[in-house]
Amino acid sequence: MVQRFQYVRWIGVGLVGCMLGLGGCSAGKAPTATLAKAELAVDQASKSKASEYASLELRTAREHLENAKQAMQQKNYEQARRQAEKALVSAQLAETKAEAASARQTAEELRKSIESLRREAGRFSMKN
Amino acid sequence: MMGIGCGAKQPSVALENARTAYTQAEQEPQVAAHAPAALREAKQTLDRAETAWEKDRDETEISHLAYLTEQRVEIAEAIAERELADADRETLSQEREVILREARAREAEQARIEAERTQREAELALVDRQAAAAQIETLKRQLGALQAKTQETERGTILTLDSVLFETNKVALKSGALQNLYPLVTFLRDNPERTIKIEGHTDSMGDEDYNLELSQRRAESVRMFLVQNGVEPNRIIARGYGETAPVAPNDTAAGRQQNRRVELVFPN
Repeated sequence: MVQRFQYVRWIGVGLVGCMLGLGGCSAGKAPTATLAKAELAVDQASKSKASEYASLELRTAREHLENAKQAMQQKNYEQARRQAEKALVSAQLAETKAEAASARQTAEELRKSIESLRREAGRFSMKN
Repeated sequence: MMGIGCGAKQPSVALENARTAYTQAEQEPQVAAHAPAALREAKQTLDRAETAWEKDRDETEISHLAYLTEQRVEIAEAIAERELADADRETLSQEREVILREARAREAEQARIEAERTQREAELALVDRQAAAAQIETLKRQLGALQAKTQETERGTILTLDSVLFETNKVALKSGALQNLYPLVTFLRDNPERTIKIEGHTDSMGDEDYNLELSQRRAESVRMFLVQNGVEPNRIIARGYGETAPVAPNDTAAGRQQNRRVELVFPN
């Protein structure tokens, strides 16, 4: 019942939007493919190390995706397309930044490990 | 504020920022080298923003495209950073591998040296023991007249002199025995690292305390003989055990003769 009420309400909003000449009613086709691509990218970023290493960018991507879905429901296709495009690049950025941070951390750990091995070797050669 | 459609072009701040971000990234050699595709995508988006600016100056679309451009520039920078970090990681990983390999090699070398040293010591110890045994065998032959017998024990090599060194109830060595014992002097002089313990034993005939005293004084006699012939006193211990440590039953003459003895103990 609630869903149906919301559905009816959105139609109402859409109609009002059209009458006022706002939003993307006149912009034509729904950006279904763009939204699907964005959703996939956000999903992929969520499964990556982004939640650990790039949580801010990941949150931004999710917010854009949410906005895109809402705009889609409102048939505000122009807004939906832009938010979907933003979600896509934000998700890609989150994933890439996380990969960079993770690689950097691994490199740092290796550097520390090497330093401690060198110290050990130093002690060893002093001892002998 | 100028209205839309005014002839003079109002510059877009968002577009300016995107342009600057792109130009900076493009001039970054690491970004240009490692993320050419991402940089190209950023350029295409920037071009679209420029076109929109030239064409209809739709502010919403221009700032949207500017935002996308900046994000793509950041992606290109992140790719460059990732590639650099990956390269570092690879180099460091190899470096660490080399260090570990060297450490393992060093440990193996150390173990080898240690094993060699242990083996060498064992060989030397064996040689020493064989040499020592040979020396005592030689001494035994030289003491032939005293009919010595050797025996390996935990305390060392024991050389037992069965034959009579003393007259009954006498403390002084028989004159013939002096001559016969002389190889022991030579042995101790030739092997200055050697020490000796002289143990006197009796049979069970007669008084126990008397026997103890007698064996003690006889051991001392042998000690004195060695000292007088130049063996350092601190290398010699002399002790009497009386009848307390028989090697045979005392109820036969042969057994008693075996019990009347002097034992020379050479610690290993």
